[in-house]
Amino acid sequence: MASDSVFEPKIVGFLCNWCSYAGADLAGTSRTPYPQNVRIIRVPCSGRVDPLFVLKAFQDGADGVMILGCHPGDCHYQQGNYFAQRRYALMHRLLEFTGVETARLHVDWVSASEGQKFAQVVTDFTEQVRALGPVAIKRQREAAVLPAQEVVA
Amino acid sequence: MTAVEQEIRDAARRYLEQGEVNCVIGYERGPTGKARPAFIYKAEDADRLVWSSDCNLNLVSYLHNYKHAPRRGAPVPKVAVVVRPCDARAINLLLHEQQIQRENVKVIGVACDGSEVDGQVRSACQVCRDRIPVIYDVLVGSEQAVEAPEQQDDYADVVQMEDLAEGERLEYWLQEFDRCIRCYACRQVCPGCYCFECVAEQVDPHWTSIAMEVPEKYFFHLMRAFHLAGRCVACDACEAVCPMGIPLSKLNRKLAKEVEALFGYRTGDDPKKAPPLATFDPQERLRL
Repeated sequence: MASDSVFEPKIVGFLCNWCSYAGADLAGTSRTPYPQNVRIIRVPCSGRVDPLFVLKAFQDGADGVMILGCHPGDCHYQQGNYFAQRRYALMHRLLEFTGVETARLHVDWVSASEGQKFAQVVTDFTEQVRALGPVAIKRQREAAVLPAQEVVA
Repeated sequence: MTAVEQEIRDAARRYLEQGEVNCVIGYERGPTGKARPAFIYKAEDADRLVWSSDCNLNLVSYLHNYKHAPRRGAPVPKVAVVVRPCDARAINLLLHEQQIQRENVKVIGVACDGSEVDGQVRSACQVCRDRIPVIYDVLVGSEQAVEAPEQQDDYADVVQMEDLAEGERLEYWLQEFDRCIRCYACRQVCPGCYCFECVAEQVDPHWTSIAMEVPEKYFFHLMRAFHLAGRCVACDACEAVCPMGIPLSKLNRKLAKEVEALFGYRTGDDPKKAPPLATFDPQERLRL
């Protein structure tokens, strides 16, 4: 996938089970192409996504994090996405304050019937993060190289 | 001994003599001459209590040690605590979060015009608007003796930080966090940090490693700042105890500024009012 010339960002997508995950499914079944950079994690609700998940994702090497939930008013649990909205409005501003580009965290509403919108959101976000380059706060992990074991004959 | 000290001692002695509380939490003079927390259980010890400008911890965090009955069937201990206006906000926070019961806590409020660190008025006190605690049973220090604040807090230090370029901000914070030795003193003194098991030390799920690396420190400090979003009372105890002098209050004040702007909420004004992240408004649409 990754070539030498083009930076391929790693993107973690937290998708709500009831709307956005079904939307992604629709994009798949209707053969709508979208970038393969997104690693999808299914969560029960966008309100389940703890800001720790976002920090942890960045720390462990994600270049962008995407949180997709039901449209306001459509939450399966009535109120989860409203909590998420407040949380990530603040989280955005805190990340910005500490020098992490806000464009690396994207919160959007994608319903189960919006396969096209899902593909569009993922495409746009991937390009946005690609333009930013790798995230600065990720752990500089050395490739785990185990010492070569001597083969005992 | 100042008049304020006398009033604190009188109040403490009265509470202990009448059996209204088991313990009074205040300050005493330590062996090095600095003020340190004191736990007074007997009325005759009340004269150990002092009050001076270097009393810059938040004693409300000790209330977490008195939340539960010491053994089954025993009553929950009753405690009196000496508070400044910022600490009093923490009492309202804990009341809202049902960590303490009002009837178990007596509040000795001190009218405050700012405390000092190394002879300098603390930055938090320079911008503080409060002079009289929002909640108290006994008010110490006359209102007239304490000057009213000249102007509203304009978050000048936060705005200055916001005006830097993105790369400069990142570099600034990575340098600051790099000094962190992960002693968790900021967490220990914070009245709002009372999780039974902290994320920083949790093993399952293993949120963050114990490595002394910048990404781990960044994770810890942002996690802590965010857990205090809309809950920080700006007592600045975290910054006062930080052995490495990391400007933690800047993170907390940034969030306080945003919370005030977005939700018109200030921590500790009213124990009935929920912090902004614990509630929502179906009509609002925020910039995401």
